Amino acid sequence: MTLRVGVWVTVSILAVLHFLLHIGIGAGRWAPDLLTVALLLGVREVRMGPAATLGLAFGLLEDVFSLLSFGANAVAMAVVGAVGSRTRDFFVGDSLLFLLCYLGMGKWFRDTLHWLAEGEGVRGNAFQILVLDGVPQAGYVAVIGVAAFLVSGAWRETIR
Amino acid sequence: MPPYTTEAGDTGGRKQWGLAFLAIGMAFVLLYLPPGAQQSIATGLRGSILYPFILTQEALARGSTARATVLGMQEEVEALATRLTTLSTLEEENRRLRGLLGLQEREVPAFLGAQVLRPSTRGSESLFLVDVGTLNGIRPHAPVITPEGLAGVVREVGPRISVAMDWTHPDFRASAMTEDGEAYGMVEPRRGEFREVDRLLLNGIAYHEVLAPGTLILTSGRGGVYPRGIVLGTVDEQAEEEAGWRRSYWLRPAVSPGAITHVLVGLGDRATGEMEP
Repeated sequence: MTLRVGVWVTVSILAVLHFLLHIGIGAGRWAPDLLTVALLLGVREVRMGPAATLGLAFGLLEDVFSLLSFGANAVAMAVVGAVGSRTRDFFVGDSLLFLLCYLGMGKWFRDTLHWLAEGEGVRGNAFQILVLDGVPQAGYVAVIGVAAFLVSGAWRETIR
Repeated sequence: MPPYTTEAGDTGGRKQWGLAFLAIGMAFVLLYLPPGAQQSIATGLRGSILYPFILTQEALARGSTARATVLGMQEEVEALATRLTTLSTLEEENRRLRGLLGLQEREVPAFLGAQVLRPSTRGSESLFLVDVGTLNGIRPHAPVITPEGLAGVVREVGPRISVAMDWTHPDFRASAMTEDGEAYGMVEPRRGEFREVDRLLLNGIAYHEVLAPGTLILTSGRGGVYPRGIVLGTVDEQAEEEAGWRRSYWLRPAVSPGAITHVLVGLGDRATGEMEP
């Protein structure tokens, strides 16, 4: 029960930090996508329904400043939430390597879904979004996410 | 973590799938809502849950501006004072000539200084916030300008914060003309291969009007949204021509959206809100 409280406190802190960096400070592209990290951590703790709902809520907040594709973040994060929750049934590994892959692939999957959900006229160049920006961003988010989990201790009990 | 169980052995498995599909379905509903409903939701969330973050950026921006711009402002004030001295003579001359010709006094649109706040969330690329709103007399479609030229237009207005789009937004359009007023057309944005190379296209120029590279393009004032004479950019090269009918030109935009920190937001006519009579 202590771990669960720790996880949800970490999820909340990461979400607040995300909006503080992206809206409060307007930090730009160097600020990592901590909302996706928070979602990917939180959904491992709940079943599919609440996981998708959490993704929907996070995505809706992210969409508030989206004039061109309102709802695209909500779709992407709701799907990531549902799929992330199901990964518990397929991957039980909780090693650091698993965590890095889980966060990196989760972030890349989220960006791909967002790109697909954006309208035809709004959608940017696929190579730039999914490869040039997407892959380094996924790696960056994975490293930052692992560091955040280690510092917060949210994943400590499960890491071998 | 909750115990690992298979969905087959879990009596709530079907319910979980249903809940997940409901949440994803709701997300798709958000995606296809009419723009008005989407804006209402966004405005509600901006004014409630996310408002503390907006206030934080506003406070930080004000603090950094106060520190960084004192010296720069001193230089600007001196330059403006020099320019005003010259302009006052011209203004007087203009007023006398208008009087002699029996022309009406021309209304000069009013502008209000504002701080630019820029969120960096995914999907907010062509958007920025300005720290003025209805309480300051700002209305939707108010032009947003910088000393370099036209930056964009206000889309949604809140009491203290307004949402504006810059010229890279696909919905941006401005009626334009050359500096000498000989050629008129419509300016619209075009996506580059990468966002950094977005540029403007001047469309609908009559075929016989050939514009040289470097020609200054200004707003024409037609449509009542943008006041006449605000710089949009300079002609870079011809984009295409339809033989005997029209030409279009690539423009080098005057304003770089990523670099703007302070802007002037148009207040327009107090009765109608229009920028040009």
